[in-house]
Amino acid sequence: MKKWLMLLLTVLFAFTLAACTATDSSGDGDSDETETENEDNSGETNEDTSGDDVTTLNLNNGQNPTSLDPPKGFDSASWNVLNNLMEGLTRLGKEHTPEAATAEDWKVSEDGTVYTFMIRDNAKWSNGDDVTAGDFVYAWKRLLDPETASPAAFLGYFIKGGEAFNKGEGSKEDVMVEAVSEKELKVTLEAPTGFFTHVISNPAFFPINESVATENPEWFAEADSFVGNGPFNLAEYNKDKDMLLKKNENYWDAETVTLEQVHFAMVDDTNTEYQLFESGDLDVSEIPSEMSEELIDSDAVSITEQAGTYFYRFNVTEEPFQNEKIRKAFALAVDQQEIVEYVTKNKEQPAYGFVSYGFQDPSGNDFREQNGNMLETDPEKAKQLLEEGMKEEGYDELPEVTLTYNTSESHKAIAEALQQKFKTVLDVEIGLENTEWNVFLQDQKDLKHQLSRSSFLADYGDPINFLESFTSDSVMNRTGWSNDEYDQLIADAKAESSDEKRWELMYEAEKILFEEMPIFPVHFYNHVFLNKDNVSDIIRHPVGYLELKWASKE
Amino acid sequence: MLKYIVKRFFLMILTIFIIATLTFFLMNAIPGSPFNEEKTSNAVVQQNLEKHFNLDKPLPVQYVLYLKSIITFDFGPSIKQPTETVNSLLGRGFPISAELGIWTILVALISGITLGVVAALRHNKLIDYTAMTIAVLGISIPNFVLATLVIQVIAVDLKLLPAATWNSPQHMILPIIALATGPMAIIARLTRSSMLETLTQDYIKTARAKGLSPFKIVVKHALRNALMPVVTILGTLLAGVLTGTFVIEKIFAIPGMGKYFVQGINQRDYPVIMGTTVFYSTFLVMMLFLVDIMYGVLDPRIKLHKKGGE
Repeated sequence: MKKWLMLLLTVLFAFTLAACTATDSSGDGDSDETETENEDNSGETNEDTSGDDVTTLNLNNGQNPTSLDPPKGFDSASWNVLNNLMEGLTRLGKEHTPEAATAEDWKVSEDGTVYTFMIRDNAKWSNGDDVTAGDFVYAWKRLLDPETASPAAFLGYFIKGGEAFNKGEGSKEDVMVEAVSEKELKVTLEAPTGFFTHVISNPAFFPINESVATENPEWFAEADSFVGNGPFNLAEYNKDKDMLLKKNENYWDAETVTLEQVHFAMVDDTNTEYQLFESGDLDVSEIPSEMSEELIDSDAVSITEQAGTYFYRFNVTEEPFQNEKIRKAFALAVDQQEIVEYVTKNKEQPAYGFVSYGFQDPSGNDFREQNGNMLETDPEKAKQLLEEGMKEEGYDELPEVTLTYNTSESHKAIAEALQQKFKTVLDVEIGLENTEWNVFLQDQKDLKHQLSRSSFLADYGDPINFLESFTSDSVMNRTGWSNDEYDQLIADAKAESSDEKRWELMYEAEKILFEEMPIFPVHFYNHVFLNKDNVSDIIRHPVGYLELKWASKE
Repeated sequence: MLKYIVKRFFLMILTIFIIATLTFFLMNAIPGSPFNEEKTSNAVVQQNLEKHFNLDKPLPVQYVLYLKSIITFDFGPSIKQPTETVNSLLGRGFPISAELGIWTILVALISGITLGVVAALRHNKLIDYTAMTIAVLGISIPNFVLATLVIQVIAVDLKLLPAATWNSPQHMILPIIALATGPMAIIARLTRSSMLETLTQDYIKTARAKGLSPFKIVVKHALRNALMPVVTILGTLLAGVLTGTFVIEKIFAIPGMGKYFVQGINQRDYPVIMGTTVFYSTFLVMMLFLVDIMYGVLDPRIKLHKKGGE
């Protein structure tokens, strides 16, 4: 009896051993695609981590970049990487304002519609080619080409002829961007756009090396064929797994860059990310939501503002929110301060307006501070407004209200806090409903909700981007609200050549938005990260891209 | 036998066709679109995107295009990762998921059968109770809980193994433990109960009476019969584990194909949904077919070419 038991155990043991040792060879054999890659990579990465003389910053990108083709990867997972591999005419600086980058300097015509950019002589591609004005022309026309189907194409509508071409009505030749000479780029805009130099810092406007792209349309797909012009080069790229960036010696400002290597892992799970941070495999980590209370006050935490707002939409086409006073009653009942302090607990700024902090007007005032609080928590007034509103509509009893949010623990917590607040302040029982994300968005678009959770993250650094969401024909509107005066103000602001006047118009527009209150804000977004002590100067721009040019690790 | 295989083959094709058709109409019936985003940019941009991915065409035309893509096994580009094709996503995800899956199944089978056999032979003794306690624990602890636990204890606290990511053989051990425990427990319980039943059969007594060695009796006579229920669940188990598991791959940051099943649906990435569903169902149907063949090998009494082969 014992003999066979021993035998079985030995067999089992042998198998497990085999399982452990055999993986190595099978790893190379099974996946024929990565066969060669695997081998030289495992060698190289080992060297990188064990060799102490090379500083590697270990970051997590969360997921595989959607695409490294600049006009197609229109999300932060792509931007975090792209913004460090390439560079547009301008680059956002440490203070998040556009600075000269590939363009050494630019001239703006008197009426503000013609920009002439002078490209640096020493702006080079990583393969040694000169970065030319033609590369920008090629890239920008490609961005606008309807065939490209770029989700970022609308950003190019500032350029004259851009919208028509993208709609399929105009031609490629009519897009007013031209190479005056090898190093001089001339762009004509639809209207004076004071923030154009900010818009073109977005990765959608990065140049593309035309000769490389014509030869190999998939140039961005692999590390070997990737040609960039930014502070770093793509040295290794194992899709869905990791990527390694190495300092680009061809970069015009290479002496500023101190980091030698950046390793991006792609860990989707925040708990795992934190555990990797704990075990020393990552230098920066997000905070798992369950641990935010514990960790948010630690020294390792860095908090930066993000240009974006968490807010709720009323549907003004549904009872009872067709009534302005009832909308205001609900909005004034909300206590933003209480929500950020006791519900989200993530150190966000409570929002009392729609445009977030961080946008300076020509005289240097912050938009948010200058325009002040658009609404304030006021239970007494809320009660009174509700009464008045119900009288106006002839309600004896308020029609049933349902608040809808997309399924997620954090949204649920805020929704429940609001439900509670409406109960205590207004004595109104509202129903809560949650739906799957995509269904939620579809219903919101079709105006099927009464009151629904929303968020906005800016595409570029100007308040107009926030405010244009609520014009009558905007797809971002989704409230049924429409106001001619508001539409006119936004249109005027877009066409205005004087920056002072433009800001006046925007201040005015936000006031109108809150006079009628088709939305109420909850909080502004922020980035919260844990950093290792020896890491400094990682910049996160409010508009969503990561900047490693100045980052260092001791 | 050949006739049986041919018949099964056509049944398989039919099954896959029905699954594919149902999937197509179901996925178009759910509300939402791949281009629904919080920050929906612009109507023109949306139209261009829809045109690019043929979503502007009427549903019947899309269905024909879809059938064509299944027959040629070319699912085209993913909508959400526009510079990647579904084939390349599956092509790089599947080998990784399969590699992890094979080791998982091996570990689960060997340890599960061993536990089951030992428990049956020592029926109602301490070893039996220990083995069954392990099995019950294994069934009742969800694998994502186990995963987080082993990462915390083995990787973060004891620093014995890497916590996550996918680089070396050491990186595989924790996910294998997390993935194999559940199947192992199921296999152990199945083996134990059928082993207990088999051991009381007359032919085992006969074998003992003949004076065969206990090892021979257990392995050659008892186990072979006792394994039938294990073989039955093996097909489904194989297809499930080999094509990747969303949760475990997410927790351990393994670049397998598990995530596409979930992401595809969440993002309404139609080509990815098609690709994963057709791939998985083909795989599952093939595994079930293999299992049926295995029956015949294990138990000659089951005749495949007569009725009752399934």
